[in-house]
Amino acid sequence: MSIPARFHDGLTAEVRVAGLEFETVGAVGTLVIRGADHSEIARWPAEILYALHSRKDELRLGASGQPDGARVVVQGHHDVARVLATIPQLTLRQHQQTGREIRLAVTATVALAAVIAAYLYGVPLLASRLVTVVPPAWEQRLGETVAQQMEASLDGEAGFELCDDDPDSLANQGIERFGNEVLAGSGSPFELDIRVVKSDIPNAFALPGGQVFFFSALLDQARTPDEFAGVLAHEIGHVAYRHGMEQLISTAGTGALIGFILGDMTGISVAAGLGATIIDARFSRDAERQADAFAAQAAQRMDFNPAGLADLINRAGADDEFARALALLSTHPLTEDRKAALEALSRQRPTGLQPPFTTAEWSAIRDMCRVTGN
Amino acid sequence: MALVEEQPVAVKFTGMRREMGGLLLRGYSLLLPTIGLYRFWLTTWKRRFYWGNTEIDGDALEYTGNAMQLLLGFLMAVAVFVPLYGLFFYLSTLSQEAAFIGYGGVAVLVWFLMGYATYRARDFRLSRTLWRGIRFDQAGSPWNYAFRRFFWSLLVIATAGLAYPFMAGDLWRYRYRNSWYGDRQFGFFGGWKLLAMPYYLAWLACAVIGITGLTIGYSMGALPDDGEPNFLGYVPMAVAALLIGAVHLLYRARELTRMLSSVRLGEAGLSVTLRGRSLLGQYLLFGLALAGLLVVLAIGGLLVLGALAGDAFADGAFDMAVFMQHLQSSLLVLLAIIFGYLLVLAAFTIMAELFLGLAFWKLVASNASITGIDSLRSVRARGEDRALAGEGLADALNVGSY
Repeated sequence: MSIPARFHDGLTAEVRVAGLEFETVGAVGTLVIRGADHSEIARWPAEILYALHSRKDELRLGASGQPDGARVVVQGHHDVARVLATIPQLTLRQHQQTGREIRLAVTATVALAAVIAAYLYGVPLLASRLVTVVPPAWEQRLGETVAQQMEASLDGEAGFELCDDDPDSLANQGIERFGNEVLAGSGSPFELDIRVVKSDIPNAFALPGGQVFFFSALLDQARTPDEFAGVLAHEIGHVAYRHGMEQLISTAGTGALIGFILGDMTGISVAAGLGATIIDARFSRDAERQADAFAAQAAQRMDFNPAGLADLINRAGADDEFARALALLSTHPLTEDRKAALEALSRQRPTGLQPPFTTAEWSAIRDMCRVTGN
Repeated sequence: MALVEEQPVAVKFTGMRREMGGLLLRGYSLLLPTIGLYRFWLTTWKRRFYWGNTEIDGDALEYTGNAMQLLLGFLMAVAVFVPLYGLFFYLSTLSQEAAFIGYGGVAVLVWFLMGYATYRARDFRLSRTLWRGIRFDQAGSPWNYAFRRFFWSLLVIATAGLAYPFMAGDLWRYRYRNSWYGDRQFGFFGGWKLLAMPYYLAWLACAVIGITGLTIGYSMGALPDDGEPNFLGYVPMAVAALLIGAVHLLYRARELTRMLSSVRLGEAGLSVTLRGRSLLGQYLLFGLALAGLLVVLAIGGLLVLGALAGDAFADGAFDMAVFMQHLQSSLLVLLAIIFGYLLVLAAFTIMAELFLGLAFWKLVASNASITGIDSLRSVRARGEDRALAGEGLADALNVGSY
């Protein structure tokens, strides 16, 4: 009649072979645990019983109010089924426990999803706020470090070669004057340092701290001063908005978040890098739009068509399959929308403005990489 | 107690690989909708499986921890990591030299913290292990352990590995002499002397194999000063690397056998005999299983990508530019790639758990026996140790095993 079981009292490491009986008095059921000699070892009322996780075909019972380690262990498919059938509260309580666990997991997941959502919308905002408290001197130093690393990775040990190393040349003077006029009134703490350098990669970019690099391959492809001025004004927009720094802050934040999700806080896994890149690409597209708008604003003060910048970037991108291939990760999304937006911004420009460069300056700029180059 | 010498009692493991496979499949499929949070539940279920199927003298172990404790521990570890992360970020923005030194400093700090984390994690697991209603526990200081491990590891590096047996002996002793079962303290009677002979033999073998492999490879022109390397020259080097891996496994089996057999608990003693070739066989099986699964996944992946971005594979050649354009324009292709990456990752970890983790546990358990087990019947329970919330850093540093 009784079901064989093993009993641990939770006080000593003794194991007793026992037999289980179930008594019912009215509505109250009690599990009676008897020793091999049929003497009573313990009585556990059904309402304090709970089942613990165990291997297949084994039932481990504990009881609240008893020592933590006190257990009744029933083995064998048949006997386990008998106990569970006799004490339905056990299954019920196990279901309740499972329900609690599921609710917990769902709550935690929803909380994490909320954090991610808040993060996706909050971090660009937060980063642009944080940027304003970063000391400009620090950002400048950082920009120099980045420039060093970039030179080392792109051009080997030699570093970039300036197209025209005379700062007082007509071309450099023209570029400097244009840059300062574009940046004027933006309240930027930085002094621009625009460098046209030799490189086969058609590209231009702004680093934190006011450095702007314009590669000769991109200059070669510029057909009008509008195009050159547009791209330069766009990059100066990045400087004015401190996008480089902003990007850095949000990248660090993204890395932390992805690490949190994957449980790899060291962030060395491929997944961490991939995830961070995808999220950051989203941020940088907003930054591109901002810089485009900045260039369009500058075009309200000087006579150039900012839509030219989209033309130049598209032309450079079309030639360069490698650049197009990397466009997913690129900070310059080459879309028609962008040109349309720029054209909309440049529709109502005042007339009678000064051109960005004099004819002499523009021809000097066009030739600056050819003359001292080849 | 009987006067005749007791027969040693064998440890049994009753878990099936199929059962574990089902558990892992369910767990990994739940990881995606829970944004990774299910890993705490998965770990808990895995441990319940391992513990609950390990039977000593008729009674299985019981794992009493739960997922919430692991989650809390992880959150605490995050609190430690956020400032460290900030430090990382700040250092990366400084000048190149400062960043280099800073990264080095952070790496050393993390290496130190890993010692702390592994000790805490062991404490967590032991204090949540029950056998015959009595809890295990670990005393000692995780900081003390972290310092020991840190300075020993420096010494090991400085001596090109020769100091390792001393380090192993010291750390094994520290771990076991601070372990408890109820009110009875574990003892450890092993030391460097047990390891010296096999270790130095393995060390010598590795050195000879490594140098031979490098020399042959070098003479075949695998590492020329300039010009194209001869790829055939990599073969002897790869063979050497595999051989070194095999020697490492053979040694590991020897170390575990000797060290685990030095563990005592009062009058009871543990005895484990691991064969190196069993360990080797596990890795071989793991390699085969993983390779098979990856081939299946690769075929499936190519079929999916071929359907989504067919023109990139036109003319039997793969056109990277066209493919990348798909990536850029189609979210579906991007999602397929991310999903594929996660699948490969899951395949790897599931195979590792089934063919290395589970197989290793099973190997150790089924080759272990305990003498004098009846002397344990007088062990009494000690007070509760609930101070530990989760495994903390171990989760964040990925050092927790099982």
